[in-house]
Amino acid sequence: MAINLNFGSLLAAPHLEHLVAALKYTAALTAASWLLAVVLGVVLATLRVTGSRSLDRGVAAWVAYQQSVPMLAHLFLWYFGISTLLPAAAQSWVNANNGELIFASIAIGLCMSAYFCEDVRSGLRAIPHGQQEAARSLGLSFVKSMRYVILPQAIRASMPPFINHTVILFKNTSLAMALGAAEMTYVVREIENQTFRTFEAYTLATVFYLAVSLGLMGVGVLVTRRLQIPAR
Amino acid sequence: MIRFSKVNKWYGKYHALVDISQDVGKGEVVVVCGPSGSGKSTLIRTVNRLEEIQDGQITLNGTQVHDKSLDLNQFRTKVGFVFQQFNLFPHMSAIENVCLAPTKVAGRSRNEALERGMALLERVGLAHKASSYPQQLSGGQQQRVAIARALAMEPPVMLFDEPTSALDPEMVGEVLNVMKSLARDGMTMMCVTHEMNFAREVADKVWFMDHGQLVETGTPAAFFSNPTSDRARRFLSDLRSH
Amino acid sequence: MGEILSTHLPSLLIGQYPNGPLGGLALTLILSVLGLGLAFPLGIGLALCRIAPYAVLRVPSTIVVYVVRGVPLVMLVFWSYFLVPTLIGQAVSAFTTLVVTLVIYQAAYMSEIVRAGIESLPRGQTEAARSLGMSYGRTMRSILLPQALYNMLPSLISQFVSTIKETSIGYVISVHELTYSAGQVNSALLTKPLQVFATLSLIYFVVCFALTRCAHAVDGRITRRRAGVTPLVESKVHDPVLQG
Repeated sequence: MAINLNFGSLLAAPHLEHLVAALKYTAALTAASWLLAVVLGVVLATLRVTGSRSLDRGVAAWVAYQQSVPMLAHLFLWYFGISTLLPAAAQSWVNANNGELIFASIAIGLCMSAYFCEDVRSGLRAIPHGQQEAARSLGLSFVKSMRYVILPQAIRASMPPFINHTVILFKNTSLAMALGAAEMTYVVREIENQTFRTFEAYTLATVFYLAVSLGLMGVGVLVTRRLQIPAR
Repeated sequence: MIRFSKVNKWYGKYHALVDISQDVGKGEVVVVCGPSGSGKSTLIRTVNRLEEIQDGQITLNGTQVHDKSLDLNQFRTKVGFVFQQFNLFPHMSAIENVCLAPTKVAGRSRNEALERGMALLERVGLAHKASSYPQQLSGGQQQRVAIARALAMEPPVMLFDEPTSALDPEMVGEVLNVMKSLARDGMTMMCVTHEMNFAREVADKVWFMDHGQLVETGTPAAFFSNPTSDRARRFLSDLRSH
Repeated sequence: MGEILSTHLPSLLIGQYPNGPLGGLALTLILSVLGLGLAFPLGIGLALCRIAPYAVLRVPSTIVVYVVRGVPLVMLVFWSYFLVPTLIGQAVSAFTTLVVTLVIYQAAYMSEIVRAGIESLPRGQTEAARSLGMSYGRTMRSILLPQALYNMLPSLISQFVSTIKETSIGYVISVHELTYSAGQVNSALLTKPLQVFATLSLIYFVVCFALTRCAHAVDGRITRRRAGVTPLVESKVHDPVLQG
């Protein structure tokens, strides 16, 4: 079996431009989903912890739904299904303006927010009740005790699963290819179809994803180390 | 200083505090003792409203503690509370633990708070450990920092909830010494403790509680040599048989 | 809508059977059982390599696990689709490709769970076994693995749920599992994407949620039975390493 690898042809124009565009697309999709997921996740965790019992149960049910359905099903539901609920004018606008990016960001962001919500909750649960009592006994208000005592500890505790879920969110952007979104996996497949250089194309994509994943995990290690409280 | 007036508390059907009426005078050191489950911790926790009451009144220096309109956060700066589990903030060093309330609640400048904080740590014998974190300190050292932290807002009253119960025996002495020096300096103190020698040495009054009731009060000398109630007698003989 | 969907519900649940091969939810479950079942021994082996005292076992197994965890599942599917026929020299069905991918993917994640399970056992267990004269292998076989595997039961169920969700990737290579079948129904109906994909999500939710509750129940039973030993933390079941 003669192996004849040729990465050069892949990195020449017009493929290079497509790859760069795909890079930007994946970056945009990751950023948009991540922001939505983090903000919503924190809000939901706050609702679960400080809200009424029925609110807690409601959010818990929503979280269970998001975590029980595969990402691909979420993407299809939003892009093909919920988009039909929009008024006609909105639908045409969305179709003309990167509809795949918008709906993929929403679908991925909503699903991952459920995981981030649980990460924040588990971080909060890891803190002994006595911490809150001690803070309040000193005269710190609820808000101040959260800000200076509880949240700093909760963030430290939830950092490892948080980093993990960030990496998972990034990997999940590859599923947007099923919607025809021009992110990295989709573009690499297109290139592979045109050049028949399967091994090289796939390797390129693999290296990209690995580099970013490992990079994110590395950032996580750095952040965890910086936040670490000196032990005995 | 502290007045309990017909204080009653229920946990559901369980009557945790039964008609408590008693005073703690200014500069008095009161030791609250009794078998476990007698309600002594519950009682002390009602003073800074870590526990609510359903009936009766508690006043501290004229302020109604359980009044709904009370500014609770301001009020709590006037009561120092020391926990059995220390509850130091693990993400802050000793000096930062002590300076947190002065800077964030009383609004003192950082330098002023640092100066006073270091003086307090000096007083409890831990100035050299100011930048250590709680995990780097022994149990006795942590509790002493906790006492300094509670003293930082210069409260007129200090409450101690079994401060030495979670400590290894060899560290109990260093904490009790700090408490004794506070007592000698005229601090008004309420202590829930099993350390009867401490009571004998510095307490002005001993309150004996059982099943939520304040069964007996008296001076240490009177209480330990001649308790008037059967329950107190049984409690003391149980203690002595160890 | 109800009638339209009820005509199509069988295809969602069992595909074209009996007029064709099994598909839909039935195929999803078969894929999941096969995937996790085959991945399990592989995962244990990988975990043992990861904690082996020999670098020649540790280093490659660590690399494999990191690569599999760092690359999206869809890329792994494409790699399998390309490499498996090339390596064994003959054409391979999409079904087989998907099973191979799932096995490799799950083995990597399983190895992390098994590894964590073994490492979370008290050191005293190993020390006691070695003091009795047992070799490393015997200690692992008779003392550590059985306990670790019992403790891992909730995680295993949780991984099964993950595998069910991962089978949806079969859509991309035209394996007739549940998501693909839903796509077929959508193409047939054309005007009811919301209902079709809502039904799809509902089916996944019912199956996966029921299994997750099972995992919680098993977790509770194990904690109660092992009272006295460190109780399992709730995060075992929603371990971030296992999801995705």
